[in-house]
Amino acid sequence: MIKLEQAWHDALRQIKTWAQINSPWAIHFNSGSCNGCDIEILATLTPRYDLERFGIKLQGSPRHADILICTGPVTRQARERLRRVYEQMPEPKFVIAVGSCAISGGAFQGCYNIVGHIDQVIPVDVYVLGCPPRPEAIIDGVVKLLQKLELSKDERQRAKTNE
Amino acid sequence: MNALLALLLFPGGLFVMLNGLAYEWVDRKLVARMQNRLGPRWFQPLADVAKLLGKEEIVPRGADARWFNGLPIVALAAVLTAALYVPLLGILPSVGFAGDLIVTIYLLSVLTLCLALAGSLTSDRFGLLGATRTLTQLFSYEAPFLLALLGPAVVAGSWQIGTILNYASGQWLIVTQPIGFFIAVIGLMGKLELPPFDAPEAHTEIVAGALTEYSGRGLALFRLAKNVALVVGLTLIAGFYLGGIANAFEFVGKTLALLGVIVVLQVLFARLRIDQLVGMWWRVGALLALAQWLLLIGWKLWSAN
Repeated sequence: MIKLEQAWHDALRQIKTWAQINSPWAIHFNSGSCNGCDIEILATLTPRYDLERFGIKLQGSPRHADILICTGPVTRQARERLRRVYEQMPEPKFVIAVGSCAISGGAFQGCYNIVGHIDQVIPVDVYVLGCPPRPEAIIDGVVKLLQKLELSKDERQRAKTNE
Repeated sequence: MNALLALLLFPGGLFVMLNGLAYEWVDRKLVARMQNRLGPRWFQPLADVAKLLGKEEIVPRGADARWFNGLPIVALAAVLTAALYVPLLGILPSVGFAGDLIVTIYLLSVLTLCLALAGSLTSDRFGLLGATRTLTQLFSYEAPFLLALLGPAVVAGSWQIGTILNYASGQWLIVTQPIGFFIAVIGLMGKLELPPFDAPEAHTEIVAGALTEYSGRGLALFRLAKNVALVVGLTLIAGFYLGGIANAFEFVGKTLALLGVIVVLQVLFARLRIDQLVGMWWRVGALLALAQWLLLIGWKLWSAN
């Protein structure tokens, strides 16, 4: 009986992971970027790259989103907003930091109005390099994030066989 | 036992929901192809719903949790009930009573009402704005839509869907009532808030309208309810205007062709403002539908004499 329950649980979890990997909805937040990265993100969403192929969809509401795509350094004014957008998202949620400024503060490092980079405010899962990164790089970042989800499933199975 | 099977599997429940997801995929794929994109994979709507069902459900502060969680269930239940009365796959509905056409149309409206209630329930400003727009749109398209679907009812002389379908089987009512057909299709687009009638959930203005605060299960159920409403509406219009009862392949083909028309209209036109919508529906839609309706009644009286 317990075994059956376990199998049921595993199956449900596998369906959940499959759905998560195949339907990542994103929301885009600019916490003080120069708009270079934002334009590249918009270019990523155009028909040329067609992210709907992978089920990726840009959502307006943080409540609907799974992935928070952040650009730019975090300014003092944007810090609370960034944290609030992150907290409004339902679990499971992931963050991608796009561009040099989001990773390290970039050209704005040491400015009087800058708090710092994204992961000083919220936890980041994937970093995408570039100033600004090309759309291909941004797609690669999303795919890396989805691979991480897949990997955690494999790791779980490995842990199960080791038991 | 048979009744339970009917409720869960064929005319109700599972079949309609899967059908709705498939139609959503056709819709999105065709839109993508017309925009020179590849479009989503075939299981995309299923993955979306499964993912949303597995997500955390956040009840915002200030909203009553019972209402917040209950409204999506009521909406889905209402449209699933409506699906029992329409000729899915071209098969005559097994249940029916005099006046079930009106009940079906109002069960479809329950979905919109639930949407508006859900939006006004949260203290969120976008939800509230979406709710008022949803209700405004409901009051503008509802009368023409009802009049358009009453056209076949008047010529058939019955308020029962089964009787109207039997009457419509021999002929294509689109030939004699082209205005009604057109208004019914556009009314369905208004009901489902598809572009160019998507002012209630305009992503560029008011985030996601009434559904802004919904995160997990609630959003999934509302999406499912909209998909089921799409199937019910297409089936109803195809049955009434495009030759009534037919074999399953033919009937599905007709509904898909109708979906194709809706997709073309979606891609062709940009979003209308809410005041333009109300003006268009009442000045053009309602008047045309009423004129045709009066003509039909006149013809009916004249031919009776």
